[in-house]
Amino acid sequence: MKNVLERLLNLLACLLTANRPVSADEIRYTVAGYEGKTDDAFHRMFERDKELLREMGIPISLQPTDIWEIEFGYVLPPEEYQLADPGLTDEERTALWLAAQIVRLGGQPQGPEAILKLGGIPFSGGGEPLAAELGLGSTDLSTAFQAVADRSSLGFVYRERGRSIHPYGLVHQRGHWYVVGKESGEEVKAFRIDRTSNMAIGSEPGTFERPVGFKAAEALPRAPWEAGEGDVRAEVQFDSDVAWWAERQLPPNAGREHHDDGSITARLDVANEDAFIGWLLAFEEKAEVLAPAELRARLMQRVEGAG
Amino acid sequence: MTRTAQRLNRILSMLPWVIANPGAAVDEVCDRFGYSRRDLIADLDLVFVCGLPGYGPGDLMVAYVEDDEVIVDMADYFASPLRLTPAEGLGLLAAGLALISSGQAPPALERAVEKLSAALTPEGGEVLAVDVSGEPELVGMLRTAAAGGRVVEIVYSSLGKGETKARSVEPWSVASALGNWYLSAYCRTAEGERIFRVDRIRRAEVTDEAFIPPEDPPPVEVRYLPGEDDVRATIHLTNRARWVAEYYPIEVVEDLESGLVIRFSASDVAVIARLLLRLGSEAALVEGPGVAEALADLRSRILSRYASA
Repeated sequence: MKNVLERLLNLLACLLTANRPVSADEIRYTVAGYEGKTDDAFHRMFERDKELLREMGIPISLQPTDIWEIEFGYVLPPEEYQLADPGLTDEERTALWLAAQIVRLGGQPQGPEAILKLGGIPFSGGGEPLAAELGLGSTDLSTAFQAVADRSSLGFVYRERGRSIHPYGLVHQRGHWYVVGKESGEEVKAFRIDRTSNMAIGSEPGTFERPVGFKAAEALPRAPWEAGEGDVRAEVQFDSDVAWWAERQLPPNAGREHHDDGSITARLDVANEDAFIGWLLAFEEKAEVLAPAELRARLMQRVEGAG
Repeated sequence: MTRTAQRLNRILSMLPWVIANPGAAVDEVCDRFGYSRRDLIADLDLVFVCGLPGYGPGDLMVAYVEDDEVIVDMADYFASPLRLTPAEGLGLLAAGLALISSGQAPPALERAVEKLSAALTPEGGEVLAVDVSGEPELVGMLRTAAAGGRVVEIVYSSLGKGETKARSVEPWSVASALGNWYLSAYCRTAEGERIFRVDRIRRAEVTDEAFIPPEDPPPVEVRYLPGEDDVRATIHLTNRARWVAEYYPIEVVEDLESGLVIRFSASDVAVIARLLLRLGSEAALVEGPGVAEALADLRSRILSRYASA
């Protein structure tokens, strides 16, 4: 391992100070650690090294060494190597480290690599595990995040159709991750990441501007029936024995009137009537749509099996 | 990440910090980067023999320990810390936001998330949102009771039958999965391990009675495992209702062009009836003992409520 580490440090030192593309041959004959290898052995070794660095987040890329693009060399632009230092205090780094230990990603706490890059922490400690399973293991999710952070376009297949979006943000809600973004000529939409496939990031960072004041948290509706085109003000009666359960699920902006017998009347905005009826049916006969009459009729139709 | 990459990552993290903090004590560097003294010196020795092509005395980096101080010189090209990978940035931010949304975050975490977010997406906007909230008060109370080994009296409404029952439980742990909070506990009333959905706990009260928590409580397993007493039904779903397969613990019997045939298990026939009612024409019952009757009963109960108004 010692030889590999020395070779990698020499390679990085060379590329970071070169200010020009360095050809594979130059690396082979001048960087300590690569000398005395056959062609094959050198190339295998160099590929492995690049792969290890890429995994750490150090991108080494090829660029032409001259304007005629006859020869190519390797570059490591400092802006792609360096951390945009957020300037965390020790206290803030520690809080972040504890959060990363407490919130489990795919069952595992995160390794210390990221926090070391940020400057390490003055002490280590455990925390009462929150054990919130965020399902952060998927590579699609990191790809989507990279596209969001770099403002690159993002392509994927969703509902059997290929899409290319400008990804504005990521949201984790009710146990799922969504990428929020806009296809050309369409409204801003949320796509559930575990329902996408063939995800690929565009090659050009800075492709789009995020809308001013964009807030990912506001991009997803609070309740399933708030996602849609409709605009109905519904009034619903919940009986006393389910009122507590209904109230926990009502969005904050819903009106509620508490009655002496423990029942409540809720007034809420419904944009998707089907989703709303689906939710109400879970209360069986303990909930009743009082108004409007059309929504009432629609629910009855649904129960009768007519629609 | 391989061990080589981990070690290189630590070296490339330690060097910038030592360069920015000249005269740092060995102990401090060890604490901050999780080094033993021996490992730190081994890494410094390694750095000492590396540098720029030519590799003469003026080309190599300088790194050693003197008078208990870590000395690094001639290594300015490693003065900047490494950029975070997208996965690392996302991991830290998401963990921070999750903790904030659960209502347990210290102010330092909020500041850290704000700074990190600004560094990762400098052009502004709040690009990441994580919501694991649910019943923060109840979750916090149950977690404290679990940590302190206190018996909790709960009033719980089961999802299946909808019956509400008082139970006495020994709380083990609280976890969030698939958008809901769950309590794993030993239920004294039922005399067995149980998983409770926290939002179905109507009331909870921590008692003074202590219990000895198991050394290694089983992880909260939210996946539904059909039990012997469960009701099973075979259901045909249209393509529009395929999502059911992702939300419920089901078995796919047949994947057809016209949709999906699934086997659905539940603790009570009422759960299956409710699902069928909700899906309407998107689902058809193929077979299931008692399900058709339960569905008819559910229909008539709802319709009679609407008819009497």
